[in-house]
Amino acid sequence: MADMIIEPIEPYALSKKVQVKTLFSRIGVIGCGIEAQGIARIASWYGMEVVLVAKDQEKLESAINGISKELDKRIQSWGLTPSEKRAIMGRIQGSLECSSVAGCDFVIEAIPANPETGFRDLNERKRIFREVEKVVSEDAIIATNATTIVITELASELKKRDRTVSLHFFVSSPEAKIIEVVKGLYTSDTVYERVCKFVELINRDVIPVMESAGIVSMRLYVALLNEACHTLMEGVASMSDIDKTMEIGLGMRFGPFRSADFIGLEKVVIWMENLYEEFGQQKYKPAPLLKRLVRAKRLGVHTKAGFYKYDDEGNIIAEDFLSGKIG
Amino acid sequence: MKILVLNCGSSSIKYQLFTMTDSNWSVIAKGGVEKVGLKGSFLKHEKENGEKVLFEGEIIDHKTGIDYILGVMLSEKHGCMKDLGEIDAVGHRVVHGGETFSSSVFINDEVIDKLEEMVSLAPLHNPPNLKGIYAIQQLMPEVPQVGVFDTAFHQSMPDYAYMYAIPYSLYRKYGIRRYGFHGTSHRYVTKRACEILNVDYNTQKIISCHLGNGASVAAIKNGKSVDTSMGFTPLEGLIMGTRSGDLDPGVITYLMDKEMIGTRSASVLLNKHSGMLGVTGISSDSREIYEAAEGGHELSKLGIRMYDYRIKKYIGSYAAAMGGVDTLIFTGGIGENEKRTRAGVCEGLEFLGIEIDEEINNKSRGKEVVISKPGSKVKVLVVPTNEELVIAEDTKKIVEKL
Repeated sequence: MADMIIEPIEPYALSKKVQVKTLFSRIGVIGCGIEAQGIARIASWYGMEVVLVAKDQEKLESAINGISKELDKRIQSWGLTPSEKRAIMGRIQGSLECSSVAGCDFVIEAIPANPETGFRDLNERKRIFREVEKVVSEDAIIATNATTIVITELASELKKRDRTVSLHFFVSSPEAKIIEVVKGLYTSDTVYERVCKFVELINRDVIPVMESAGIVSMRLYVALLNEACHTLMEGVASMSDIDKTMEIGLGMRFGPFRSADFIGLEKVVIWMENLYEEFGQQKYKPAPLLKRLVRAKRLGVHTKAGFYKYDDEGNIIAEDFLSGKIG
Repeated sequence: MKILVLNCGSSSIKYQLFTMTDSNWSVIAKGGVEKVGLKGSFLKHEKENGEKVLFEGEIIDHKTGIDYILGVMLSEKHGCMKDLGEIDAVGHRVVHGGETFSSSVFINDEVIDKLEEMVSLAPLHNPPNLKGIYAIQQLMPEVPQVGVFDTAFHQSMPDYAYMYAIPYSLYRKYGIRRYGFHGTSHRYVTKRACEILNVDYNTQKIISCHLGNGASVAAIKNGKSVDTSMGFTPLEGLIMGTRSGDLDPGVITYLMDKEMIGTRSASVLLNKHSGMLGVTGISSDSREIYEAAEGGHELSKLGIRMYDYRIKKYIGSYAAAMGGVDTLIFTGGIGENEKRTRAGVCEGLEFLGIEIDEEINNKSRGKEVVISKPGSKVKVLVVPTNEELVIAEDTKKIVEKL
């Protein structure tokens, strides 16, 4: 390289017309929970630069660490090479400032739920939407990762409301190759199409859905989980056998209990209450067992105990320890 | 006649600009674009005088990359021509030509449609090749384009060599058969070897070993490829840097079950975690493996023995398939530069008439040379490959007929 001349390439463009900006070259992800980690990891996996914004240094480090661990799992299961991991990690840039999403053409709000209440702070999300709009370009898309009716409300905070959209990444199974894309009242067709393009770029299929509580996935899932809890409490079958039945018998990647532990029971309960409020049907009312676990702060993998008990790596260490006593 | 040769990969574009006359050729500019569509993309250009220039900046797709390549070649400062019209034709390397293309072709709409259909056979390679073709269509609509296929040379394989013993309906349904790759390279080095030896290409039995990152052996009888080690995908055959090569298919289903992995991870396992890297745990780079082996690293020694042994088995079987062998060729990065591999492969093959001259072999690196002993029944040669030249020559031939 010693005697090599280095020059910028732009003056050599043959077609003098303005170069189109790269579509989705840089993505902003706000939040540092498992949803945000999943979104950042997937976008970077498919070659996009990612700015991951966290509230404080500790949460940021833990999120980056979480992504790194998840990629290590992929290496162990032969799905990735160490050099590919380095490239993926290299594309993720952490930040503590919302304003660092300035150069992004797509920003996804994915702040985690408050572990105490299970709620994602709506005022905080609105604030984020407003902050993001201040710094991004005119045509940048601002999205939220959600399964609740929220995008229209969040959009109302913005000056340019048609740039908003709601996505649902599947957290319990982040490799599920689908994403529910919700069109809010304000979402323009152009924005919706661009988001579909984004979903395609990260190798997923779009499930177009209307703005409705729980959309498809969560509405059906919570009903299943409730019924699973009742089945368990009636002593029909053991917890792991119920999961196994749904996994093997009906081809679910993870049964209802394991899925709930991944998602976080506090979140599931909130969704259920939300659906119950929206539709007024008993089937959405959280089963007593679920509420009991939440009260006992057994919220799932992230607290190392939910329906199952887990080690630090998220592996199950005790199955069916519920069946004796709740402890 | 000026011919631009393009080789578009998933995130790279390699190019060479040839000036060709009937009897002579020279490269007046060459280089490559790396990291297309990614951060840190650049264009590295080498002028005829060897001077190198690095251009940095965003290169969002193949079309932009080719736009810049043409822009640089036209520029006053670093260029080599005044007008785009000086380029008479563009030749593209196309990885998969399926059963449709058994030789290089002039690219028209019909050919493009066929290539689009073939994307499912080479989902990683054909789409960027097509992007290059589309880019030239847009940037230089008047210039004829030619496609030169990696698979074409092997289309002469007989059916009993290319069929797999699985239900015939799957061949009909998905085109599952052996296609072979590196065809342009095997074609070039075998012809070139016959020129060097001054023998008739159409009467020879030749075994050609292309040993690079990817590696394959081909059997060429009377000027036609009759068998080759790569199959439906470039995963079959020899042990490669990170690819397993031949493997009991039972291992794959067993592993998928035991390691609880899906098809994607299984593919990454066999394509990227395996081969010399997987066995040695050191590297996919032969130089590093030899270094480790010399330092006493047992798995590197094992890897080298496995690598050489696999090639030797193919040489034996291709000699049997052709009823003998007249010429053995080494090419590709390892074949051209690694004397120890050549020696390891040829060791013990004296019964076939393969005897290499240790002294000549040890001195030979990256240049055309006969490395067999004068009395050796089989001539053994090192022939550096030049796929770009083949593409340029084919392109010239085809556009001259237009």
